[in-house]
Amino acid sequence: MTPVLTVEGVTAGYGRVTVLHDISLEAGRFGNVGLFGPNGHGKTTLLRAISGLLKPKSGSIRFDGQDIAGLSARAIVGTGLIHVPQGNRLFPDLSIADCMALGAYSARARPHEAENREKVIKLFPKLAQRWRQRVRTLSGGERQMVSIGTALMSHPRLLILDEPTLGLAPKIKDELCASVMDISRGGVPLIVVEQDIEFLLELTQQLYLVNHGAVATEIKPGESLDHGEIMSMYFGH
Amino acid sequence: MSALAEILFGGLFQGSLYAMMAVGLALVWTTIGVFNFSHGVFMMLGAYIAWQLVEIGLPAAVAFPVAVVVMAGVGWILQASVVRPLIGRPNIVLVVVITTLAAGSLIENGALTIWGPRSKQIPALIDGNTTIGGVGVSLHQIAIIVITPLILAALWVFLNRTRLGLALRAVAQNEDASHLVGLNVTALYGLAFAIAASLAGLAGIFMGGYRFMSPVMGSDPLLKALIVVVFGGISSISGPIFAAYLIGFFEAACSYYFGLYWTPALLFGVLILTLMVRPEGIFASRSRGLA
Repeated sequence: MTPVLTVEGVTAGYGRVTVLHDISLEAGRFGNVGLFGPNGHGKTTLLRAISGLLKPKSGSIRFDGQDIAGLSARAIVGTGLIHVPQGNRLFPDLSIADCMALGAYSARARPHEAENREKVIKLFPKLAQRWRQRVRTLSGGERQMVSIGTALMSHPRLLILDEPTLGLAPKIKDELCASVMDISRGGVPLIVVEQDIEFLLELTQQLYLVNHGAVATEIKPGESLDHGEIMSMYFGH
Repeated sequence: MSALAEILFGGLFQGSLYAMMAVGLALVWTTIGVFNFSHGVFMMLGAYIAWQLVEIGLPAAVAFPVAVVVMAGVGWILQASVVRPLIGRPNIVLVVVITTLAAGSLIENGALTIWGPRSKQIPALIDGNTTIGGVGVSLHQIAIIVITPLILAALWVFLNRTRLGLALRAVAQNEDASHLVGLNVTALYGLAFAIAASLAGLAGIFMGGYRFMSPVMGSDPLLKALIVVVFGGISSISGPIFAAYLIGFFEAACSYYFGLYWTPALLFGVLILTLMVRPEGIFASRSRGLA
């Protein structure tokens, strides 16, 4: 399989601070990709650069053969590369129904609105019960469902999840993991940033350890690691 | 009886004008997070453009809508020239106060150069007078009292029942997330300014129909609109609408019982008291959002 997304030599940051130093990786060759590593080392920045929220200073990002580095976030959404940001902050005063309508806002997603709404409701039946409720009144797990549901409404060809389990209880984490697995089985490849290594090992086939704004280690399928080895990579022992 | 009628009528009338102004100010604040200090100039420019169109021979029924549409363009251009380039900068709120004040000053003096200092008047929406509850009122003022709530209701329907309105509300709440669902955030900012400028322009046309116009006619309404949004809370658009009418009634009552001279002092007294008790405004929630 050829990679769906290729990041090559990307340097990016905020103002004078460079966060990503010449980072390269690829996704989609072996299935889902997981990114892990200590906080503040560029994982979220990398996702922001991929989805167009942040313009890379240099390097190329290719999605399905098209160079998307420097395109607007809106144009990138139009290619089907959909990013679910961290912390389910979304739109606190909109209802779930409103969020779903927004997810289907792009011209690419609009014709599939009804069909995707069915998918979301099937995946997260809880949301249907609270359809008219404001997002701010939902639990953390439900808000994360809204975030992922909104992304599914955008008819993704590649889905990027930034720490989907942040702050969730273990039981809810497991439910969410199962739902995300369903999405993946439905044919949408994933890039997942996660602190919960178990979650990543279950969901992804290829792992990258991101450290100091670059890829420190790549773990390909077959080179399975146990939890202890990953922890030691984390802490550099 | 006639005292009550006079206060009620005066309050509804002033409240309508304040609401038209304040809603635009609040719309721009909630979507972009900046205060537009050229909002009063939008009001003046709307009135002068309408006057000019009537002067070249267009009937008022054509001239007024055209002036409102032209104002939408003016709002868009102003946003693109003095607000958009600054988005993302630190201190954007203060910087935009300066740039919009500067742009407003330029437009105001431009109007003075083009149209001169002589007071002008545009045709009333409806000519004639009538008496309600013992108070003599003009049909123009009654038209304003009736039309304003309809326009505000239309704005509410637009924001709450259309896809584009939904997009505007979304941008007001979370800019990054709006980018990530593919909204054209820049265009939505332009749209917020365009709507605000149209409403201000319409308020100017309303005012030019019963009072003499001058290039500085927008500065007092801007001040009042600022009071209204501070009083009502800037985090929504329904708060300022209620506050506009409340302040309209308060002013009408003050003018009736204490005279016009004391009204501003009393108004500011109430404003200061309100801010001491509820710094976020009386109808406000603590977050930004269009509702």
